This record gives sequence, C-alpha cells and structure tokens, in this order.
Amino acid sequence: MESRAEQVTDAAASEPVDSAASAPAGSAASAPRLTRPRACVATGVAAGLAAHLGWPVWIVRSAFVVTSLASGAGLLLYLWLWVFTPWAPGEERPTRRAPVAWLLVVASGVSLVVAWATSGRVVEGRDGLEWWLLAVFAGVGLAVSAGAWATFIDRPDPDRGPRQELAIRIVATALLAITALALVFGPNAYWYPVPTFVAALAAVLGIALVYVPTLIASWRDLAAERTKRIREEQRSEIAAHLHDSVLQTLALIQNRAGATSEVARIARAQERELRDWLFAGDTPADSDLGTDLRDFGAALEIDYAVTVDVVVVGESRERASGEMAAAAREAMLNAARHAGGEVSVYVESTPEAVEVFVRDRGPGFALADVPRDRLGVRESIIGRMRRAGGSGEVRPGVGGVGTEVRLRFPAAERLEGNRG
Amino acid sequence: MAERVRVVIVDDHSIFRSGLKADLDDTIEVVGEAHDVESAVAVVTDASPDVVLLDVHLPGVAVPAATSGGAEVIRRAAASVPSTRFLALSVSDKAEDVVGVIRAGARGYITKGSSGADVTRAVHAVADGDAVFSPKLAGFVLDAFGAPVGETASASDELDRLSAREQEVMRLIARGYAYKEVAAELFISTKTVETHVSAVLRKLQLSSRHELTAWANARRLL
Repeated sequence: MESRAEQVTDAAASEPVDSAASAPAGSAASAPRLTRPRACVATGVAAGLAAHLGWPVWIVRSAFVVTSLASGAGLLLYLWLWVFTPWAPGEERPTRRAPVAWLLVVASGVSLVVAWATSGRVVEGRDGLEWWLLAVFAGVGLAVSAGAWATFIDRPDPDRGPRQELAIRIVATALLAITALALVFGPNAYWYPVPTFVAALAAVLGIALVYVPTLIASWRDLAAERTKRIREEQRSEIAAHLHDSVLQTLALIQNRAGATSEVARIARAQERELRDWLFAGDTPADSDLGTDLRDFGAALEIDYAVTVDVVVVGESRERASGEMAAAAREAMLNAARHAGGEVSVYVESTPEAVEVFVRDRGPGFALADVPRDRLGVRESIIGRMRRAGGSGEVRPGVGGVGTEVRLRFPAAERLEGNRG
Repeated sequence: MAERVRVVIVDDHSIFRSGLKADLDDTIEVVGEAHDVESAVAVVTDASPDVVLLDVHLPGVAVPAATSGGAEVIRRAAASVPSTRFLALSVSDKAEDVVGVIRAGARGYITKGSSGADVTRAVHAVADGDAVFSPKLAGFVLDAFGAPVGETASASDELDRLSAREQEVMRLIARGYAYKEVAAELFISTKTVETHVSAVLRKLQLSSRHELTAWANARRLL
C-alpha cells in the first residue's frame, strides 16, 4: 500500500487536497488514488475527494460550500481539482446525473431577476449600486457558462445532446436579451446612465459569448475532418507507393525462390498481410465463410509448404462458425499436411446451396484405404457434414492426380445446421 | 513449338524484367523491353512481337487517371500491331486490377508470383490465340455474370450472361483445374474448352453488363 501511494502520479492534485482540507498528513498514504468516478452528479470532484479522504460525501460538499463563502476559496479549489483530477480508469463515457446546464441557466435567471429587483430599490442611495451591477455580471457569466457546458460537456452525452444544447442556448439568449432591454428602458438608465450602459453592454456581449462555443465546436469538427482527410490521402499515397515497390519485390522473391520454399512462403504471407492492410475496407470485416477460409489458407501457408488459392463466388451468407466452415478447414488442413504444393479452394454460394471444393495435387488417397481408427476424414469432414444436414465427398482428383473434397450444404437446412 | 515466340516484356522494374527473362525457356525469344507507357508503345510498334507481357501498373506521361498504364499501352499500340497479343502481368491477383486491362484487350493475365514455366505456358497459350484465365478471374467472371444466382444465357450470342457450358468450364477453372483436366471432367476436347474460355473472354471484354461496368466505374478502371 505504501508503494501504491507513491505511484500517485497526480501529485499536484493530491497535494492541495491534504493541505486545503486540512486532513491529517498521513492519511494520503493509505487512501485510494484521487480520481473522479465516471458516474457522477456534476463533475465527480466531491465524490472522488470523499472517497480519497474516507469522508462522507455530504461533509466534503458542505466544506466546499462553506469555504466558498470565504471569498471563493472553496470554489477555486473545486475548479482546480476539476481540472487536474483524472477520471477513474474505465472505458465507459462519464455520465452526469445533475442537469448542470439547466441549473446554470436557472442560477443565471435568478441572479438577473435579483439584479432587476434590487436595482429599483437602490435608486435612492448609491450603496446598492455595485450589488445589482455585480448580479448582472454574475447572471451573464452563468448564462455563458451554461452555453459552454451544453456544448463542450453535455453534447457528446447521448441523453442530452445537441437538442438540449439548442434549448439552453435559446433560453440563455432570451434571458440576456430581456435583461439588456429592461436595463436600457428601465429607470436606472435615467439615474445611472454609465453603469447601466455597461451592464446592458455586458448582457449583449454575453449573448455573443453564448454562441462562441458552437463556433469553437464546429471549428474543431472541421479541423478533425481535415486531419482525417489528410490522413486518408497520405494513406492511399503510401499504399500506391508500396504497391509499386514492396509488393513487386515480394512477388519477385516468390518467383525466384520457387513456389514452396520457405522464403517464398514467408514472402507470400508478408505480401498477403501487406495487401490486407493496403486494401483494408475492400473486404467485409465480419467473418463470413469465404473470408474465414481465406484467412485459414493464409495461416496454413505459414505452417506448411503449400500455397492456398481461395476463390469465393456469390454472396456468402454462411457463417464462419458453422459446421460447413469447420469441415472445410479440416479438408484444407488435410490437403496442406498430406499433399502440399498448390491447393485450390472454391466456395460458391447459390440460392439453393453452399458448396466448397478443396483440391490438391498430392499423392491422393482412397477413403477405403484409410484405417478405421483414423477419424480425420471420415468423422470431421464427411460425418460432420452429414450430421449437419449436408453432404461431403472425398474423391481422387481428375486424371488420378491429387484429391478433391466436395462439401455441399443445401439452403433449406442451412439455418438448422448453423445452429449446431 | 517449331518457331520461337517473339515477346516484348513491359515492366517498370528492371530487376523484374531481367528475372523474368532468365526464367522463360528457349521457346521464347525476348525481342524488346520497355519500362513505361511511351517506351512500351514505341518498342511494341517497332518490334511487332507475337506476345507482349504487360505490367498492369505502369508509369507514363498523360495516362488518364481513370485507367491503368497497362490498359493505356494496349489502347495506343493495338491498332498498329493487329497480330500482337497482350498478356497482362499483375502483382496482385485481385480481379479489379485485371479486368480493366482485359477489357482494354488483353488476352488474359497471370500474377507475378507465377513460376517461369507457368509464364512460358501462358505465353504460348496466348500466342496460339487462347485466353489465359486464373481461378480468381474465373471466380470473378462467374460472380460478375450472375452465375451463382442462376442467370444463364438463353441465346449463344448473348453477351451479358454465360451459357450453361461456359459456367461449367469457369467453375472448374475456379476450382483449380487446368484446361486439360476441365476437358477430361466434362468429356470434351481441350480445344472445345479453349473455345469456351475464349468466348467468355470476349464477353468479358464486350459485355455492357451493369455489374461489370458499374463495378469498374466505381473503381475508375474504364
């Protein structure tokens, strides 16, 4: 535990906590790391600090409120902690229970109303003057921060999003506009022209500031968009270059090294990997039968002296997890292990059936010659297909060269078979 | 092979050209080499070879962005050397790399990973007027002409679909069968297989089938 406390990287955040909240100096040593929980009320500062200090949350909250009364020290500390405390480790997006943007709007409204109400009363004496001015400024500031909060913090939140952002902005604008008009046409404009003018100007400026976050947000989006486009352009440039240089060289290596040599196999595997990277997006990412067998073929080429050519025809609806795929993989493995050389795999999906052909040019074998205890072909290919409702057949290749495995899976039973 | 086949090799990588030259056997005579579109057109029209081994991705000045260098060479040179046949060489066996050059007039394609013996065989086949189809290209043709969903040509001159026999031949080629094996499997002569393959190649070049052109347009090949 001692060592864990030393690992606290955010020393800047944990240090002032101890001193400001006047906790015993040793408590940090055994305390959990200061982080903000991802499911929080507003910012997670109070909850995180409470967990860190081992205090009830309400004490921390009231401490913040009380110290805030001392010329805003608690508020400053709160903001400081908010900026520097990291989120608790995790993947999920932080959620906030409190509708902070609306609270800010309400607070703004309250302080503007207070300003309006007090301004009438202090007409007589000059004492109250700066109080209503202060209230106007506070109202403007709160409205602006409501807009900023809605844009920067609430927008990515699926529960709130751009709709709420718009509503907040409209309400804040309305508040500030009414304030400005009330100031200009109110009695204070006559008694205190300069301060009233300043306050009205602040309200109008506030309206502008309410909209600044949207501009910043869209500018950010634009920048992100541009970065993405540039990255994409660069990528296709690199792809074109690699295509003209490295792929050619890899082809040449395969060519010169002989089809089944170790070097050629490595070059071929490398070529395949590079090609997958270059043309990512051309092939569907989810694993259907064709993609799966292609990947399996690529893996076989690394392990065995074999080149696997996979041709896929038709829209494949067959899943890679099905019995068909398992049987086809077994057939390919057999071909790679016992025949080697060139193996051709052909997958065709028609509305009636899915068919897979695996053909090799090895020594070949007759099923009848395979000892009964060898389960490979009989069980994992033919038996498996039959149990799943399809059919499997192993026969010598044309002209007695090699072996061909044929798998067929009719469309009617496909649903059932896939479940198994 | 009584007489040697005269061949021009077009590829922008000199190391690949020399490697290929060393790999081809005695029945093939390399009469010229070129490294970009312009030199290729010049060498081909000058030497008038039997077969041009043509790289699909070829640099060149003033090649339209929508086409590949290989296809451009065929387009520019084919008219002046009508007896010359083009065999595309591609580093990738992706159909889209190849269909553009086939539709420009190539008689087939092989990947650069093929052995010297394979290339030699393909050159002879093309020189004899046959088409060279790889399993991948056969698979693509089946897909593009709607064979898996049961589209079959009813008339022999229909360009947008394959006949039942052509589909059978393409399926076997896609399964890795050589022409000879296809012939044995279907109980027809090798010559008949070659006729079918040539017919399919012609359809591939001439068809205005929607999938083919839409697909090629999407990748700006034509």
